[in-house]
Amino acid sequence: MAIYEVFLKKDGREEFRHAGALEASTDELATVLARESYARRAEGKRIWLVRRDHIIDPGDSFVSPNANKPHRHHDGAAVAARRKAEREERT
Amino acid sequence: MTLTTDTRDYLLAFADDEHFIGQQHTEWIGAAPFLEEDLAFASIGQDELGHAAMLYGFILESEGEVASDSAIDRLAYRRDASEYRCCGLVEFIADDWAIALVRQWLYDTVEELRWGLLMQSSLEGLAEIARQVSQDESFHRLHANALLDDLLTDENAKQRILIALKQIQPLTLELVAPIPGEIEALAAGIASGRLCDSIASIEATIAARFDVEMSLSSCLDLKDCRLGRSYYFAPLLQRMRYVLDSDPDAKW
Repeated sequence: MAIYEVFLKKDGREEFRHAGALEASTDELATVLARESYARRAEGKRIWLVRRDHIIDPGDSFVSPNANKPHRHHDGAAVAARRKAEREERT
Repeated sequence: MTLTTDTRDYLLAFADDEHFIGQQHTEWIGAAPFLEEDLAFASIGQDELGHAAMLYGFILESEGEVASDSAIDRLAYRRDASEYRCCGLVEFIADDWAIALVRQWLYDTVEELRWGLLMQSSLEGLAEIARQVSQDESFHRLHANALLDDLLTDENAKQRILIALKQIQPLTLELVAPIPGEIEALAAGIASGRLCDSIASIEATIAARFDVEMSLSSCLDLKDCRLGRSYYFAPLLQRMRYVLDSDPDAKW
């Protein structure tokens, strides 16, 4: 058995969005079950299935450190103060 | 075209089969072997109930009635047992998943042929229903075949499936046996053939799928098929009417 992630795309320029997951023993069965489990009420016009073990996942520690990098972020206060001072200088 | 008693019986046989098989499939919600199959099987059942409603509606309109939800409900649920024309295969309560799955495959294999016989019907509304429904049906067969493709590779599962097939063989005869009103429907151009003329083709499809021989020719000897109800019918219909009977005056 494998776990499949299911994505649905609505009409037009909508992107594929994650709809859920299911477990199935073959790709063929997974597509049939996904159709009935996630799209039976025409929730989308197209469906993608991706086997979960085909997803490349570098793990939590790969990206999460980016949430703690104050040395490369600022809140804009310094720029705002400088622009304010220039405006006041001109008037 | 107005339906005669015979041609009405012919269409009722199909509508009742769809109604009862739909009910049977939906009853596996929460009881099928795994969650996704719960949903898939019940969803297929819901399609069949919808097909039944289309056929009941068509019969009502052919009789000059408005095919309102309440009129369809009356025809679907409120007839005397003797007026139903479903076959034993769809009345049978399958408490074993292997039987339920094999029945779905068998029923849908035969159902494809039945709709095919109505595609060129002299009743244009009926031909239109047949064309519309065929789209759903191709996915029903895909479902049963996808499960069987996998299960038949497992020796234990295969044995259970073959036992189930043998168990429901007598009921399958009732499905393909001459249908009341069939000859009249053929003469009126409502259908383009008799279902029992396709027995050899059905046998070949079964043999290709399960790698076993199942003879269906004895269905031609069945007398008064679909005119009597099986042991399972009364409690099943009672359960199907449970909500309706809880408040007979309710407007749905």
